[in-house]
Amino acid sequence: MTDVAADTLLDVRDLRTEFATSHGVVRAVDGVSWDVRAGETVALVGESGCGKSVSALSIMGLVARPAGRVVGGEIWFKGRDLLKLSEDEMRDIRGREIAMVFQEPMTSLNPVLTVGRQITEACEIHLGYTPTQAHARAVEVLGFVGIPDGARRLKQYPHQFSGGMRQRLMIAIALSCRPDLILADEPTTALDVTIQAQILDLMKDLSRQFGTANLIITHNLGVVARYADRVNVMYAGKIVERGTAREIYANPRHPYTLGLLRSVPRLDEPKRARLDPIQGQPPDLTRLPPGCAFAPRCAFAIDRCRAEVPPLTSVGGAHQSACWVADSLPGVAAKPVAEQVPA
Amino acid sequence: MWRYLINRFLLMIPTLLGVAIIIFLLLRVIPGDVVEAKFMSGEGSGVSNEVLAAERARLGLDKPVWEQFAIWIWGVARFDFGISMWTGGPISEEIALRFALSLQVALMATIVATLLALPLGVIAALKQDTWVDYAVRVFSIAGLAMPSFWLGILMILGFLIFFKWVPPMVYTPFWIDPWQNMVQLVWPALAVGYRYSAVATRMTRSSMLEVLREDYIRTARAKGLWLKLILVRHALKNAMLPVVTVIGLEFAFLLGGLVVTEQVFNLNGLGLLFVQAITRRDYTLTQALVLLVAAAFIFVNFAMDVMYAWLDPRIRFR
Repeated sequence: MTDVAADTLLDVRDLRTEFATSHGVVRAVDGVSWDVRAGETVALVGESGCGKSVSALSIMGLVARPAGRVVGGEIWFKGRDLLKLSEDEMRDIRGREIAMVFQEPMTSLNPVLTVGRQITEACEIHLGYTPTQAHARAVEVLGFVGIPDGARRLKQYPHQFSGGMRQRLMIAIALSCRPDLILADEPTTALDVTIQAQILDLMKDLSRQFGTANLIITHNLGVVARYADRVNVMYAGKIVERGTAREIYANPRHPYTLGLLRSVPRLDEPKRARLDPIQGQPPDLTRLPPGCAFAPRCAFAIDRCRAEVPPLTSVGGAHQSACWVADSLPGVAAKPVAEQVPA
Repeated sequence: MWRYLINRFLLMIPTLLGVAIIIFLLLRVIPGDVVEAKFMSGEGSGVSNEVLAAERARLGLDKPVWEQFAIWIWGVARFDFGISMWTGGPISEEIALRFALSLQVALMATIVATLLALPLGVIAALKQDTWVDYAVRVFSIAGLAMPSFWLGILMILGFLIFFKWVPPMVYTPFWIDPWQNMVQLVWPALAVGYRYSAVATRMTRSSMLEVLREDYIRTARAKGLWLKLILVRHALKNAMLPVVTVIGLEFAFLLGGLVVTEQVFNLNGLGLLFVQAITRRDYTLTQALVLLVAAAFIFVNFAMDVMYAWLDPRIRFR
């Protein structure tokens, strides 16, 4: 792995999280390393079940017990290994220094508490605000996330807000204690397409405005291209490719990334271009094949792929790929060449 | 919100009217009437048919059914339930004292049940599948398995054997001597309340387990709240909805349904009165009792609706 840069905020090293199921142990996250620098937006990309959400929950110490367990690795955050902290110490970090935005805005807010109560409680606990101060802060963060008339809206309940508005509320809650890092787990998946862009733009703006780093977990490479600085692509609990958003988008060096890119519509392509889904199903994590986990679905697989797990190696600077045939993959150029990706 | 509550309230009238019609007709379908029960019991002694007919005429039983109903329902509308066909005393007096007693036992049992069920259910849910959970489940299954009258007998025997003491067997109204009253009624309330708590405990446990898996509990944890605050502020209010239903319905049931337990503790409550009224074919008294219990059920339902609205803003703002 690359040396830790001076401004590294979160440094996940060789994280391993397992779940005990009736079919055996599932290695949901299997030796994954990545980092987030201060103020940066990093994406964790992959299909459902690849371990991206579990990675985030591991950082927060919220992996569902007793089935789930972090069994190895280190999570360095501002000079401390989060995995070594006590529950009390973790509680001070959650919401205060690392906040989380969840996938389902419809069910992630408590239906029987006012929105105000749900925004102010974190400030009251972490920052020692009085109810008046917390209320003022809540009005302020509602303004940040584009909800006007905060004083009135705070008295309302979640069901009086639309899906997109609720996700704004979740972001407001996350922002309320001025955290250094926001983990956003599929923040737009449950929303209308038109709203998705608004929410992501908002997160990007807020990140610039307050210097908050974002980790965006998504299965949508379109999101990645527009909003992330760096990208980690996960498959079956491992990182299979990483690099800057531009490298990943324009020059994918792993067949899985390539498949992902070909399976989503791109605005920069002629309308007729056919979408090309990835064949097969994500693997059963209790019975992974001996070699590369993607090999059974991979059009480029050679014998070595089925025998040996490919390590994550550089394919040019910080751009890394875990593929034996990384150098001989076709470009996305099998289709019309992508225009430059807006940063 | 207000419209919702007023609607619910007004709906009580047709419901009660329906109950009144059904119980009125049902009673008249049962063979025999109060006059037969009074004079022809035992060996059917030599009471002449003329006497029976005169008695029926006196009680208004010779009139057509629809007329009887009209007279009765007109009285009910003015809260005049008439006189008991058996004793001749005003029904409101017959019922008042017994209702006070049954209501008090039901209320006390509800308090006992709630105080047992909420903490036990929450702890069992939090410690799911540990010995604490198993202990709570055994305790509540035992409550379901033991009829409360049997538990009452055990209590009385226990007092007698170990303390040479028996709870007072004569009812003292609360407003005359609260201490004496409590010393008598707390035991049936405990016996009934324990059984009652069993259902509520299990409901609290399962409802709490369900709520603790909700996304918003994860959100609350991600905010860094302490467990206690998550439980009290975020989980309990959501978990209460089904528990309120169980507690409320059981309460309404207790008001009229404690026949055997009342016997064990020698309480002259509504349960006994009910049985007597029906065996004596005391139409007016039975009708009044059924209406009373129905009204209690409906009122409890209404109170539960108010409670739902208080607990859940999605109902309040509909």
